[in-house]
Amino acid sequence: MKQKLREWGMRLWGTFKSRDAEIEEELRFHLDMAEQDALLQGDSHREVYLRQGGLTQAAESVRDQHAFPWLSDFFRDTRHSVRLLARSPLFAAAAIGSLALGIGANTAIYSLFYTIMLRQLPVAHPEQLVEFLFSGDPGQVRDDGYWGWDRYEYIRDHNHVLSALTGMSFDNLASLRVDGSDPQTVIEESVLGNYFEVLGLKPAIGRLTTRDDVPASGEAEAAVVSWSWWNSRFDRDPSILGKRIFVNDAPKTIVGVAPRGYFGPRVGSRTDVWIPYQRDTVRLLARIKPGVTRQLAQAEMRVLLQSLVEQKAARNHTKVKPIQLDVEPAGAGFARVREQYGKALMLLLGVVGFLLLLACINMASLLLARSAGRQRELAVRVGLGAGRGRLVRQMLTEAVMLSAAGTLVGMLLAYAGTGILVRIMASGRAFEHIDVEVHPDVQLLAVTAGIGMFTAFLFGLAPAMYAFRATPANALQQSARGGDTWLWRLFGKGLVAAQVALSIFLVTGTAVFLAHLSRLRNFELGFRSDHVLLLTLDPDHSSYKSKPLAAPYQRLLERLQSTPGVRSASITACTPLQGCGTGSRFLNAEGFVEQPEQRLRPAVYFVTPRYFETLGIPLLAGRDFSPRDAGHPRVVIISNAVARHYFPGQNPVGRNITVVHDTRPLPFGDDQPYEIIGVAADVKPFELRDAPFPTMYFDMFQVNHVFDQFQLRTSSDPTAIAETARRLVREVLPDMPVKRVTTLEAQVDSNIVPERLIATLSEFFGGLGAVLAGIGIYGLLAFSVARRTNEIGVRMALGATAGDVSRLVLRDTMGLLCAGLIAGSFLVMLGRPLAASLIQDLKPESAGPLALAAGAIAAVALLASYVPVRRASRLDPMSALRHE
Amino acid sequence: MGAGSQSISMPNEEKAGVLQGTLDLMVLQTLATLGPLHGYAIAARIEQVSSGAIQLNMGTLYPGLLRLEQRGFIRAKWDKTENNRRARFYSITATGRRQLDVEKAGWTRMAGIMKSLLGEEA
Repeated sequence: MKQKLREWGMRLWGTFKSRDAEIEEELRFHLDMAEQDALLQGDSHREVYLRQGGLTQAAESVRDQHAFPWLSDFFRDTRHSVRLLARSPLFAAAAIGSLALGIGANTAIYSLFYTIMLRQLPVAHPEQLVEFLFSGDPGQVRDDGYWGWDRYEYIRDHNHVLSALTGMSFDNLASLRVDGSDPQTVIEESVLGNYFEVLGLKPAIGRLTTRDDVPASGEAEAAVVSWSWWNSRFDRDPSILGKRIFVNDAPKTIVGVAPRGYFGPRVGSRTDVWIPYQRDTVRLLARIKPGVTRQLAQAEMRVLLQSLVEQKAARNHTKVKPIQLDVEPAGAGFARVREQYGKALMLLLGVVGFLLLLACINMASLLLARSAGRQRELAVRVGLGAGRGRLVRQMLTEAVMLSAAGTLVGMLLAYAGTGILVRIMASGRAFEHIDVEVHPDVQLLAVTAGIGMFTAFLFGLAPAMYAFRATPANALQQSARGGDTWLWRLFGKGLVAAQVALSIFLVTGTAVFLAHLSRLRNFELGFRSDHVLLLTLDPDHSSYKSKPLAAPYQRLLERLQSTPGVRSASITACTPLQGCGTGSRFLNAEGFVEQPEQRLRPAVYFVTPRYFETLGIPLLAGRDFSPRDAGHPRVVIISNAVARHYFPGQNPVGRNITVVHDTRPLPFGDDQPYEIIGVAADVKPFELRDAPFPTMYFDMFQVNHVFDQFQLRTSSDPTAIAETARRLVREVLPDMPVKRVTTLEAQVDSNIVPERLIATLSEFFGGLGAVLAGIGIYGLLAFSVARRTNEIGVRMALGATAGDVSRLVLRDTMGLLCAGLIAGSFLVMLGRPLAASLIQDLKPESAGPLALAAGAIAAVALLASYVPVRRASRLDPMSALRHE
Repeated sequence: MGAGSQSISMPNEEKAGVLQGTLDLMVLQTLATLGPLHGYAIAARIEQVSSGAIQLNMGTLYPGLLRLEQRGFIRAKWDKTENNRRARFYSITATGRRQLDVEKAGWTRMAGIMKSLLGEEA
């Protein structure tokens, strides 16, 4: 056995190191000696050669023993392929490029998919972790709600299905200050005492907090920071332990650093600091007991919660709705992001799948055209005695080489491509940031390489078979179209038609998604998101803390409004889709008797005059607030939905409403009436995907409830005004910090990350599909023109004009285009309901996108056929006839 | 030509199995007895000892020698013949000697078995 291994080792070594010269010398010596002996014995040369066998054959046998013949064949084939490919760089670039794009897109999207949907938390036994989700309406993202402390304790003490229960609450905009430096906005996670123990985490340095750190109520003084914060802020200095920090202005002491890979239980949002707490609302994360199924756990949790709710309802004499609580696996982190992105990612996986298919077809048609071009060469080689198996192997080697190169380039593209993905994802709301990493994941690499190789074999074999479909004799004659059976011609054309169909499908999808995105962005918001700069001040960290702000803010507003480039300015607490609100209230409208179950509870907004103008919310009736309103009878502006509800078919302007103050009175609260002075169009204040929310607007100066977010409508790029605005703030309010500067557009965009992801990527992929189809059509036409050179020469010699010839070639293109168009329309019809089921509110019914896609692909096809058509029409009949 | 020479002269692929082992044994035995020899001398010696029954052609001999070399049973080195020509001389290694002993024993045992078997049947 050992000797056998040694032999293989030597042969492997021999594969790379040939000793042909030595072998020949040794054999030559043998032959000379044999000849000498033969002469002595009187034998003839012929007898010697008969006895000894030919030198060449013997040398071949020795070489076969010296190396692994199949391996050296492979290397020879590889060298041969490289030389051949180098001779047609355009072909190589097209084949490698299309495969690289296909594989790159798949790798990038799969990485994203893996990061969001599959990657397990780096904790002990992630498969045991579960979370609890409350489902609302079907199709809505399920709520991962916070639990009251009583409910948490009840569940903790009465369940039989959980082996551990812990919880946390998040502050996405916590301020973290290290002694003597500016506060920094971080994500803080308040955690129960048993949090780290339940997750089974080990500290990077120091210690992790335990139950002993938690006081009877409220927050602990001990804090754990994340590894990445330690790394970026302290350069991994171990002296961080015992350091004093201020989290939301409360003093804390750092006792440890969390392990490097752990960023909290939420996918994509990275916790920077953990502080133990108790007796507050809590989001739950539990470990299910080994052997208990999720269904069982869910059943018990529902029963427990239902009884809790019924007890409370019995005390308050109210009715209860049945509770829909789901127990879901949380080993890959909380489900919220997964539910938000899941469908979008499925859709994208589908799209890139199609793209890869397109790339494979492209490669196949390129290889096919190429092997048709090499038919003669192959026939000669078969004629000279080359084994077919050997030739097929060589053609496969070429395909494998192309696919290996394509895979490699594709991986590189994927790295670059995830940069784009990361930028799109990072524009989400702060707590929904997702870091996408493409690391050399073994699984991912295997999948990618597998796809590449599969492609190579599948689409390398067809051309190889094509090359051998004809007998060598026929192929050698190579009459103009010799040997091409109708089946193979159909196959070649079918490939291109399929490409056209697929790319029409992709481009249609792109058009649908882009239209959807632009509608989300512009038409259904109720306000205009472009050209608005948002500037939030921070009076709590200035000398204006708890001082009246109305007068200084009015001064600042005047200065801002008179700045060149600013059309109007206003202040409010929350702008639409910011993800915050200032509460909601019931109201009584003059002369309207409301059924209790139909009662509206409009959102309450505090704004300044010109708010509607600044945000581009149309006033449907009445007037805007004005500075003259201050100190005069109280006024209110209602949204259209409120107007329709309380004043159907009437003009609400001039009527009165009173605000019903329940348990928590607003600071402007009393029961005096407000006169309606205007009706504003409906907007979507909270969630883009919700229906417009009924809203009441109050004049913040009149009710003296002043907030800190300024809006500037600008005449040009809003970010260009940002510096001027900051300067004005410094001039008017010298020590007032500016907490946040952004644009309304960015704020809206942060609400539609999945949609933007789909639209941006499918825009890219659709374009790519069109390019690939173009390459395919070009390849096929160029090839068919080259093959028909002779025929075209005959036609021209018989009097065909350049126009006739162009039409001849264009007819091919048109045929392919029509076939592809029909198949593509069919695909679109099939894909429609699927896309509609994956994207909420998608309206794919119109034929516009399909027409657009068909037009675009037709243009690409014609463009791609330009060069072949020109070549055909410019053929010189004489040289074309001589062409063989 | 005898029957032996016919089988030995067969193409590479067909003389696998028993004869491959036989060739190894013959070469090793020759080198163990006579010391370093070049390929032609080995073939000539085997032919002489077998009284011309076994004639090794180059296509059989040299791949066999190479295999033995790769397995570490013999080693080869370029040297001068008595006529001052460059030739590749093979000599047996320590491993080769051990292998020879093992194969010789096996062969003898096998020959004994065959002999008694045939003798009984006769």
